[in-house]
Amino acid sequence: MSEENWIEVGSTDSIEEEDLIRFDHQDKTFCVYKLTDGFYATDGICTHEAVHLEDGLVMDDEIECPMHQGIFNIKSGEALSPPACEDLKTYPVKVDNDKIFIKIN
Amino acid sequence: MKNNIIILGGGQAGIYAAREIRQNDSKLNIKILSEENLLPYERPPLSKDFLLDKKKEEDLYFHSSDVLKNENIEFENISINKVDFENKKLFAKNDNVYSYDSLLISTGSENKKLTLDNNLKNDIYYLRNLEEAKKIKEIVSNKNKITIIGGGFIGLEIASSLSQLQKKVIVIEIGNQLMGRIIPKQIADLVQNTHIEHGNEIILNKQIEKITKKNGDYEILLNDNSLIETDFIIAGIGSTPTVKLFENTNLKLDNGIVTNQFCETSIKDVYAAGDVSNFYHPFYERNMRLESYQHAQNHGICAGKNIAGVKTEYTSIPWMWSDQFNLNLQLTGICNDYDEIIERGNDINNGVIYFFLKNKIIRGACGLGIAGKIGRDIRITSKLSEKNTIVDKQILSDQNLKLNKLIQK
Repeated sequence: MSEENWIEVGSTDSIEEEDLIRFDHQDKTFCVYKLTDGFYATDGICTHEAVHLEDGLVMDDEIECPMHQGIFNIKSGEALSPPACEDLKTYPVKVDNDKIFIKIN
Repeated sequence: MKNNIIILGGGQAGIYAAREIRQNDSKLNIKILSEENLLPYERPPLSKDFLLDKKKEEDLYFHSSDVLKNENIEFENISINKVDFENKKLFAKNDNVYSYDSLLISTGSENKKLTLDNNLKNDIYYLRNLEEAKKIKEIVSNKNKITIIGGGFIGLEIASSLSQLQKKVIVIEIGNQLMGRIIPKQIADLVQNTHIEHGNEIILNKQIEKITKKNGDYEILLNDNSLIETDFIIAGIGSTPTVKLFENTNLKLDNGIVTNQFCETSIKDVYAAGDVSNFYHPFYERNMRLESYQHAQNHGICAGKNIAGVKTEYTSIPWMWSDQFNLNLQLTGICNDYDEIIERGNDINNGVIYFFLKNKIIRGACGLGIAGKIGRDIRITSKLSEKNTIVDKQILSDQNLKLNKLIQK
């Protein structure tokens, strides 16, 4: 695994628990979440319509789209409730020295 | 022993009920009878992304035929013209007879039509189903000045789409505000401003006296004697529940099919769900009829559980949305029963929400913002409302204070 694929997102205290932040890298945008058992990352844009999930509600392991309430599992990306039907892409996350990194391919 | 379940109506409530029944019972025979010869599809995009060509027909279907096949749900395109509740039979126009043990009625609702001279009946277009959306899409490509009669959700969504297609659009509304049936005036006025900024003309408080056909175009005479020249007319003036089939039966009707909190109608083993049902909501302690995506889905699921023998109350807090231009409007709960209004935000770029409180408890909220900006707070409001939480007004009114903490355990 090459180290250069891990991109630094920010410090671990930049996200409140059961919340998320938006992270933009090059021409892509992501959501990085802090759940009770750790950090997770997904694509930033809802698979249903082009709206950013940064304004969505995080509840337990789920992110709900702020526009039409499609729901995704944050850990697996699975689309759980319509109108979302296409899964959300997820990305590996690691924490090193209180810093969050995500692996983007 | 119940074996045969018939679902009358192949829309969203029907398909969600069918799949829920199957999830709870692998043996029941489930058959959906649909007047439309299409698998259940999403209607919200018809007035927006479908007209704008951002979504195609194949993007609209809830499920493929494979899903129905795998779940052993039959789907038949047939028109029923008689119901015999006593003998539990449905009669089709082609003489087919269908027997049921349990029946779910999910016939939805249909557009109200303008009362016009007969020779104009085919000149006014309405949008409810895919066929109508296709027709409108095709015809407007050759039209320039389009009049929408009715300033409700459907009319305004079409107005927004047509404006984006560079058409000149005029909206005529009989009431003194847009979307007056359920949307608070504060939000309706913000929506109106956006339409005007995009070049749409909004005419309020006017009735149509007469429509005259002239060289293939139309002249609309309003009650203040003003005259509008237009080359295409679309009307969206509300809808009524589709209950004609039941009018001379024992089924209790009152603004739709009257159901209790378990989706049960006045007749044993007959259920109703979605737009067609005037259901009892235990949280608000009154009956209501809703026409929304979320309701059709959740009410269908609830009916499915009850039909499969899993007794379940329907307690969903109402929620609906409308997308116009780059704005997303959302409403949760009920916004017409309040003694106090609290405003959160004053700029649609960051989102504006009005909370409607009664006895310090949030009964409903309505918000408008650039796509996504109000969604989280509206969702949190639903949860707060559901639990009758008394919330500090300072937190509600200050957009810098997040509402998340209010619902965390």
